[in-house]
Amino acid sequence: MAGEKAHPNYVAVWFWLVGLMVASVAISLFHFSESATVVVIFTIAVVKAVLVALNFMHLRFERLLIYSLAIVPLLLFFILTAVLFPDIASH
Amino acid sequence: MSDSVTGKAPPEAHPHHTDLGFWRTYVFSTDHKTIAKQYLAIGLFWAIVGGLLAYLMRWQLAYPETAVPGFGWVPEPHMVDGIIPPEFYNMLITMHGTVMVFFVAMPILLGAFGNFLIPLMIGAQDMAFPRLNMLSVWVLAFSSVVLLVSFFVPGGAAASGWTAYAPLSAKAVYTGVDWGQNLWIIALALEFASFLMGGVNFLTTAINMRAPGLSLFRLPLMVWMELTAAVLFLLSVGPLIAGAVMLLLDRLAGTSFFLPEGGGHPLLWQHLFWFFGHPEVYVIMLPGMGAALEILPVFSRKPIFGYRPIVYSTIAAGILSFVVWAHHMFPSGLDPRLAMPFSFTTILISIPFAIIVFAMIATLWGGSIRFPTPMLYALGTLAVFIVGGLTGIFNGSAPADIYIHDTYFVVSHFHYTLFSAVFFGGFAGIYYWFPKMFGRMMNETLGKIHFWLTFIFFNAVFFPMFFLGAGGMMRRIYNPLQYEFLQSLQPLNVFITYAAIVLFLGQLPFVVNFFWSLWAGKKAEQNPWEANTLEWTTPSPPPHGNFEAIPVVYRGPYEYSLPEVSEDWLPQDRPVEPRPVPAG
Amino acid sequence: MSQTHAIESRTDTLTGTGIPSGRLGVWWFLASEIILFGGLIGTFILFRHGNPEWVAAAEHLSLTIGTINTFVLLTSSLTIVMAFAAVDKGDSRRMRTWLFLTILLGFVFLGIKAFEWSTEIGAGFIPSTGGFWSFYYAMTGLHALHVMAGIVINTILFISAVLDRLKPHEYRIELAGLYWHFVDIVWIFLFPLLYLA
Repeated sequence: MAGEKAHPNYVAVWFWLVGLMVASVAISLFHFSESATVVVIFTIAVVKAVLVALNFMHLRFERLLIYSLAIVPLLLFFILTAVLFPDIASH
Repeated sequence: MSDSVTGKAPPEAHPHHTDLGFWRTYVFSTDHKTIAKQYLAIGLFWAIVGGLLAYLMRWQLAYPETAVPGFGWVPEPHMVDGIIPPEFYNMLITMHGTVMVFFVAMPILLGAFGNFLIPLMIGAQDMAFPRLNMLSVWVLAFSSVVLLVSFFVPGGAAASGWTAYAPLSAKAVYTGVDWGQNLWIIALALEFASFLMGGVNFLTTAINMRAPGLSLFRLPLMVWMELTAAVLFLLSVGPLIAGAVMLLLDRLAGTSFFLPEGGGHPLLWQHLFWFFGHPEVYVIMLPGMGAALEILPVFSRKPIFGYRPIVYSTIAAGILSFVVWAHHMFPSGLDPRLAMPFSFTTILISIPFAIIVFAMIATLWGGSIRFPTPMLYALGTLAVFIVGGLTGIFNGSAPADIYIHDTYFVVSHFHYTLFSAVFFGGFAGIYYWFPKMFGRMMNETLGKIHFWLTFIFFNAVFFPMFFLGAGGMMRRIYNPLQYEFLQSLQPLNVFITYAAIVLFLGQLPFVVNFFWSLWAGKKAEQNPWEANTLEWTTPSPPPHGNFEAIPVVYRGPYEYSLPEVSEDWLPQDRPVEPRPVPAG
Repeated sequence: MSQTHAIESRTDTLTGTGIPSGRLGVWWFLASEIILFGGLIGTFILFRHGNPEWVAAAEHLSLTIGTINTFVLLTSSLTIVMAFAAVDKGDSRRMRTWLFLTILLGFVFLGIKAFEWSTEIGAGFIPSTGGFWSFYYAMTGLHALHVMAGIVINTILFISAVLDRLKPHEYRIELAGLYWHFVDIVWIFLFPLLYLA
């Protein structure tokens, strides 16, 4: 069933993931400005998630259908959060 | 012939179910047809319960605080000598909605029709994951037991409305219901798990296992509707499951997600609920309309009008259904800046539904229409849905909605939409596919009596409710006579109650017909309605594995009255006879 | 069993998408899981935004434990994908080893998480202590339930591999892996949300 598909270098991906984890912990320990820290650590989290999805979950070898199954729920998540913002966050 | 095309005979096509024994054949079956019947049984059982709950409510509204005929036996904390106390009335309202939406509509329209029809209509031997399918129906059965048990625990069943608005639902002291509400949350979580499994199965099956030649735009519309419904369910239920976890923690672990005194937000629950709740309306409605869409061309002997526009409209409605949810919350103290955009999207979503309705009407135009029971019910679906859809436009506009939202106008509106899908669409489907499901025809006379009783008395019950609502009668009130301004409307309430009793008793011909036909009905032929879709190309009932050989599809599903063939129908899997070839 | 397999082999040859049914089904399930955790995480972000004082509560979490657990889970993602790579190479013995390591790391994660919870509860921080703690226990608890489910799935696969019954269904390692990676990704977001920000 699997077979033909190429395997990325999983160990290298893992090194990247661990390195990024260490980086985000280090950044949170140095007290930069709060908003800068938040932006950086969540950017790192997104990069890690994308690394896992593309390589370990083989998203980069998948078709449009599978991509949309990953992306459409994310869009809905953004819509839901944005609409809830005035009701929940600013009360 | 088809064998030469598919290359190999499917291994499971030749039935060997006889050696499976009773338990594997009827109870722990992985056959999608048996599972569909199990869903149907669960749904019909709960329909009776939901109907009885409605009867109790109606009696209370017509003759407040008098003994309900036939219900003197219900013990003390719930009812007192047959009289309904206010707490019990809250429970009736809550459980009627819960039962009808989650345990009648979804099991029948998705569980039964989806499971039965998707593999048959796409020419597959079974679902993609037969054992997951079995698990899904058994999780639903377990969930049903949990919900049933909740009626009997101390304090009774949930009483915070089917929407379980916090903080009412978040603390036992507010409704006096403790474990009833907890079990309600657990039952719903299990129900969601069941339909998640079902939805994964529907989508994978219909996308991956279509017969050769059956492209997406040759799929019967019922399959499109079930697919859209499954997508909507899968993508909307998550936040509510998260919300259910939070609600349960509020009740059991003392957290304050939804309790304002602890820093929580009651509105959050409403958002999470309706983010699911509105797509859920279409999860229920689309398959009901799908049944009508299958039936209308068959008994008009005409191709469906505007197949592609219907498909595109369905998809558009599905997408829009994710951005209309706050119209359920206009009077809730929602941030007013949200009202305008949600009014806009709500009015917008009426366009695709209007297209579908017009396509249904145009399908009838110029057809040679026959009126057997399934067709009557399909037409009933259409007629009743139009009223529901039109009144929805009033509710969609925030300024109008704030006046009518918590009145019987809304009660009537959503019964016109949901009753049309669940009961008219559901009965249309049952009368239409009963021969395929059970191999016997249902009785036409009883069917027609059933239809006219249902159609007339449904309208007698719900049309006057628009007047009640416009007159200001609030939703969910226990005793309308407590309000001076509702006194004059009381005769209407009494009328509605008697109409509702006749509507309920009017279902008896169906029950009799169903069971009588099951054993003594006329044997059904393979294709009694002379329809085109693939489920009619296999015996009634289809054997284990459905098809002798996987069919090959040559055309769309609604090719009726074509000039090329002598009959007025042309099954999807029949190659048209080649014109006489000159020489050779 | 043969039925499922027959269908699996059919889907590639017929008009289907070419994506094996198992993988497609898991992705549909994951789509619903994304919006499930999305709803919970989105709600937390909104509450956190509206309550800047929660940062004081977050200070009580142990960054060390959180980091170790992140490392454990990231590594378990590596081990299960190595098990899948071994399946592709036809190396069942190595596949079993990697799968066993994955299960072990799952248990290590849960063990550390349980220890962490018990110290927090011992220090008096329970779900009803405050908004931050409610979300902390809800989110990590729901995640831990997913880890447990993953361990159960992996263990079933491992046992059937040991009993030599997995051979025709070894592609299921990939399916279990997809789910396991998803659980890992959820943690990738929970970690900065709870421990770092």
